[in-house]
Amino acid sequence: MWYEIFKFEIKYRFRRPETYLFFVFLMAFSIFGVDFIFQGVETGLMKMNAPIVLGKTMGAITGIFMILASMIMGMPMIRDDQYQITPLIYTCPIKKKDLLLGRFLGSFLILLLIFSGIPLGMMIGEFLPWHLESEMLPFQFSTYLYTFSSIVLPTLFFGAAVFFVTGTLSRNLLVVYTQGIFIFVVFLLTKSITNEYAQAILDPFSLTTITNLTKEWEIAQRNVSLLPFSGVLLVNKLFWVFVGVFVMIFGYFRFSVTTFTNAKKTSSKRSRKVNVAKQSTRNLDVILPQVTVDDGWNAKWKQFISMSIFYGKSLMKETSFWAIVICGAIIILINSISLGTVYGVDSYPTTYFIVEELQELSMYFFIIILLFYSGELFWKEKSVRMHFLRDANPISSLIILCSKMAGLVGVYIVLILSLMFSGILFQITKGYYHFDLPVYFGGFFIEILPLLLIYTFVAFFIQSLVNNKFLGIILTLFFIIVMVVLEVMGYDHILFNFGGGGLKSYSEMNGYGHFMTTYLWTKAYWISFGMLLLIGASLIAGRGADIGWINRFKQVGSVFSKKAKTLTIIIFLIFVSIGSFNFYQANILNEHWTSKQENDYRASYEKELKQFEYLPQPKISDAKMYMDLFPEERAYVLKGSYMMINEEDEPIKEIHVQKMLESGVALDSIHFSAETLIDSQYHKYAYYIFSLETPLEPGDSIVMKFDQSYTSQGFNITSSAGSVLNNGTFIRNNEFPTLGYQDKIELKDETDRKTYGLAPKESKAEIDDHQELQRSRSGSDSKGMTLDFTIGTSAYQTAITSGELVKQWKEGARNYFQYRSKQPIIDFYAVSSGNYELLQDSWSSSDGETTSPVLLEIYHHPRHDYNLDRMMAGMKASLDYYSVHFAPYQYQQLRIVEFPRYESFAQSFPNTIPFSESIGFMLDIDDEEDVDMTFFVTAHEVAHQWWGMQLESANVKGRNFILETLSQYAALMVFRKQYAQEKVDQLLELQRELYDKKRKQASEAEVPLNLVGNEEYIYYNKGILAMFELQEMIGEDRVNCALKAFIHDWNSESGEVKWEKMRYATSADLIDYILDETPEKDRNEVLNLLTKVKR
Amino acid sequence: MDKLIISNLSKTYKYGVKALDNVNLEIGKGMFGLLGPNGAGKSSLMRTIATLQEADEGSITLNGLDVIAHKMEVRKILGYLPQQFGLFPKISAIDLLDHFAILKGITNKIERKEMVSALLEKTNLYAVRKQNLGGFSGGMKQRFGIAQALLSNPKLVIVDEPTAGLDPKERNQFYYLLSEIGEDAIIILSTHIVDDVKELCTKMAIINQGKVILQGEPLKLIDQVKGKVYQKLVHKSEIAEYRKVHHVINEQHYLGQPLIQIITSLDPPDGFTPSQVGLEEVYFSQLIQAHK
Repeated sequence: MWYEIFKFEIKYRFRRPETYLFFVFLMAFSIFGVDFIFQGVETGLMKMNAPIVLGKTMGAITGIFMILASMIMGMPMIRDDQYQITPLIYTCPIKKKDLLLGRFLGSFLILLLIFSGIPLGMMIGEFLPWHLESEMLPFQFSTYLYTFSSIVLPTLFFGAAVFFVTGTLSRNLLVVYTQGIFIFVVFLLTKSITNEYAQAILDPFSLTTITNLTKEWEIAQRNVSLLPFSGVLLVNKLFWVFVGVFVMIFGYFRFSVTTFTNAKKTSSKRSRKVNVAKQSTRNLDVILPQVTVDDGWNAKWKQFISMSIFYGKSLMKETSFWAIVICGAIIILINSISLGTVYGVDSYPTTYFIVEELQELSMYFFIIILLFYSGELFWKEKSVRMHFLRDANPISSLIILCSKMAGLVGVYIVLILSLMFSGILFQITKGYYHFDLPVYFGGFFIEILPLLLIYTFVAFFIQSLVNNKFLGIILTLFFIIVMVVLEVMGYDHILFNFGGGGLKSYSEMNGYGHFMTTYLWTKAYWISFGMLLLIGASLIAGRGADIGWINRFKQVGSVFSKKAKTLTIIIFLIFVSIGSFNFYQANILNEHWTSKQENDYRASYEKELKQFEYLPQPKISDAKMYMDLFPEERAYVLKGSYMMINEEDEPIKEIHVQKMLESGVALDSIHFSAETLIDSQYHKYAYYIFSLETPLEPGDSIVMKFDQSYTSQGFNITSSAGSVLNNGTFIRNNEFPTLGYQDKIELKDETDRKTYGLAPKESKAEIDDHQELQRSRSGSDSKGMTLDFTIGTSAYQTAITSGELVKQWKEGARNYFQYRSKQPIIDFYAVSSGNYELLQDSWSSSDGETTSPVLLEIYHHPRHDYNLDRMMAGMKASLDYYSVHFAPYQYQQLRIVEFPRYESFAQSFPNTIPFSESIGFMLDIDDEEDVDMTFFVTAHEVAHQWWGMQLESANVKGRNFILETLSQYAALMVFRKQYAQEKVDQLLELQRELYDKKRKQASEAEVPLNLVGNEEYIYYNKGILAMFELQEMIGEDRVNCALKAFIHDWNSESGEVKWEKMRYATSADLIDYILDETPEKDRNEVLNLLTKVKR
Repeated sequence: MDKLIISNLSKTYKYGVKALDNVNLEIGKGMFGLLGPNGAGKSSLMRTIATLQEADEGSITLNGLDVIAHKMEVRKILGYLPQQFGLFPKISAIDLLDHFAILKGITNKIERKEMVSALLEKTNLYAVRKQNLGGFSGGMKQRFGIAQALLSNPKLVIVDEPTAGLDPKERNQFYYLLSEIGEDAIIILSTHIVDDVKELCTKMAIINQGKVILQGEPLKLIDQVKGKVYQKLVHKSEIAEYRKVHHVINEQHYLGQPLIQIITSLDPPDGFTPSQVGLEEVYFSQLIQAHK
């Protein structure tokens, strides 16, 4: 008997359009599956069809589209109710076992067929042109088959069991969909489990399981081995299959053929009681009053309001909705593991971190509500066959849709409020009481809600267009995915990127900054577009019995009332006006470049100008700058004057000036102290050649004066924050005119370079490249210079740059600061300006030398005072250590200046260290459990005042071994003096983990430390480990001795060896110094440590 | 004078099913019965008048107002109860009725409240007004349907098979309610139950296979067949023979034996006795003629 039911189920499913639709959908999606899932993930040398990649992709796609499984598996038993054949079926002599088994197996088989679209799509995807042969393994059908059966099949079984049983027992599709959310919540919860093994076992989609299973695998194995169905993967799969079986058994016993009728009775018992109330004929004498039927604007408004409440309430009566709300509320309480985590240390639970976390976690919930509730609501009347009753009323379809829309928005708002509430609760539990309500408001009502609104318009439109609930849901989902993909692919212009982009992260320093204006205009544009969609939806919705395609479109004319027409015209005009305004702001006032245009530009820059790369240019020996900064308008006016010396042996005939390539930056004038002739043939690249009438003889100098201005007009729709901000400006000197060819403009991506026929480019030149040995960094224009910089800024702001503050005054409502360097600095300085609070202290060297004390300053956002002590301690301890063990500190000041969290790094400039809001200021360091990373990062950056400021290294491979690895070493030594050994071990362990993780993600084979290019994981993470080992081996003193000699001999200003060899130091020089201090017996090992990848 | 005029109304569904075939009717104030077997096109006609469906050809005017072109105007004065309908299960009767009042455009709160209570009283649902509709019996649901149809003091009431699912007592109450409203409105009642029409309607039409095959006042129609219908108790085996020879309009059972009715203007054949004539006989005679 079960076989008959099984056969019937399959036959039935084959006649349903959903079956094919879901299959095609999954297949189409999976074609781009690997690209989608691994978007932005560093896979290193792993091939894009390696078993691990396939496994994770299949697991993730299965997870994402569990909702399809819920739509398939939830249906079989609910269907009986919908077609009202329950009594027929349940009175048939079918055994419960046969009925359930047949239905389940039939649907499950269909489910497998549908999900086989995943491997099929992925196989097709393998052959698509953008997958380079070099990134792929040969095609292996069996890998797909094996991965599908081992990864996807058990997950599907579990999901199928849960959905089938909930559908059978609850008879409510919304409850089934909610199970999908539960599974997702389980998935999220597993992420918060700290025990890796438990996490791997409990992950329902086996993603962490695969990571765990293969964490020890080396590249070769990753590319070859199938995922063994054993160990943690086997346990994981057994666990979930067991849960599935358990659910099935539970469902089997709970279900009885009378379940349905019993359930109905209990729910209506109360009403039945009164049902028998005596009917009295007295009622018939009631006279019906007269009522007014109104259809003016006012009446329509009232209808809208009262129906919105009606629909909103009806959704809120759904148990499933409250289940979602509760899930949403608890998830943050359990899952708040990474609040602005830096090096394993969490930040204070500030509102913006909480909001960002909530946004991320709740997105899935919102999408589920959007997809399913819009479907439910759109078909609400039809699904109980009440639509004829509704449609015979003098109410416009548009008002009905608008109220449904508003009802749904009400539901979003309830969820949002509950999320906010749980966020605040979380903050309280953490003992953090600064609830930034405007940030909560902004994060949800300004960032999330408008986007939901826009996509809900789409959902209703699609439902109306396709006139089928399931089809509508799936197409809406498809639409969302396509839009996300298009945005990722770079179609990000605000007029075409559907819904407009997101809002830049909130920064406590800069608020939403200047991004808010653009954002709001963009959203206004898309919301008005959405309104047009809604009107469209109401026109083609069809009414009454005429719901065929032709009828619905024929009716449009008659449905379109005068009032609706007026409204449409108004909204259309608004839409077009905002659109034109936005276009003007984004494309006329600003230049908008597609990534293709940008690549073209970069490629031809290199092709045309590369010839000038090593053309001798004079070097800046003195810069006098005068900048008027207007943070509110995000603008500046700069008057600069460079004194430049010819340090070459030959006369210099031409001076090449490169303007910063940004449309807001204008180089208004350039004048030289000698006669020049300007050649503007490279104007396209803002590259100007000035030929000197009398060449500049070696040793002679020339003055270049220039006026540069920066203005920001209109909408800035690029995602970068720019450098001039309302609060927290941070401008590097490379934004000012530079001399000669700038290789940083070149295309970097290897594939892009290949497309344009450019030779592959290494991140750093070879260690014996004699031209680069003369340079300390790409595009440096100086070999030591003096700086005199005057900055004017607004009344509430302080401006900071390198040098000593020699003068400070007010002029009108503006603050002026003049900084001057007392000794030569490298050509690397930055301007900061913000509304700062200042913490000052001082440090004197302890060796009793009579140098004047160093002024220590931290310019910080008033509220960010959590870790100032740690920073200050870090500065002092560093100065203590470095001035004794390396060389004396060369400046009279040392400053830390905070900047907004759009980027998270700290960077050392001469005596000044801009430090991001996000990496040290907000950390909530528990000295019991955490490593004091604020202290460590501070020590690292201070170390650069030696490694980078005192000693520059040649711009060749190994450069960062000197600059970064030595700073890591220095910071580690300072840290060890301050903290217990276990903290040091903890810090090193962290570095080891990072090294291991990033090494596997690296896209190129690992290089040894001494030849490192731009690989952070080598010069930071491996570097610190190697240096720690080195000093364990030969002793801290010997290492420091070597470094002391090294920095002495190779000092940029006074290093004798440097001047003798006429070049900058390399890692080979450093290793020589280290070897000199190394006892004979250890030399080989030291050499291996620093110059071999593996030992 | 209120008048609904239906002229030349035709509608063909997919696969060539003719639901309405050149229908012409003139309906005034009072109750108008639309009689016909299942699938005759009654519901199609009702839906078309109720602005829920468009005809391929023909026109409907209500006091000169083109119903098809001015649907919204018609809906303001329309009360419609479809043959089959459902109600939101998780909402109380009073709330849903209030919702319908909003849909009707009764935006004055006080008026709405009065009307909703009055109708709940009148349909005898007041006692259960706070209960969810999911627990309502078929009769209660039907009464609710009537209540919502009468919310806006309609001038045109269309009720499609309204008595299905009502017990006799409920049916009587329903008729009472309708006739009360019929004093001031056009009421079109479709049914396949002859008694409904007989008891209520001053005018009627019989519709079959999309065509109006007869219309008039019930009494006059009955007069037309008076004296032409005869009946006889027969054996089962004889029925086929009788069918060949006579216009058999009805076959039923009387005390377990087949009773057939024939219609003829001539003298009755052997064994046939004059039959009492009611609307039922008119109906059956018309159906037979339409078939032939």
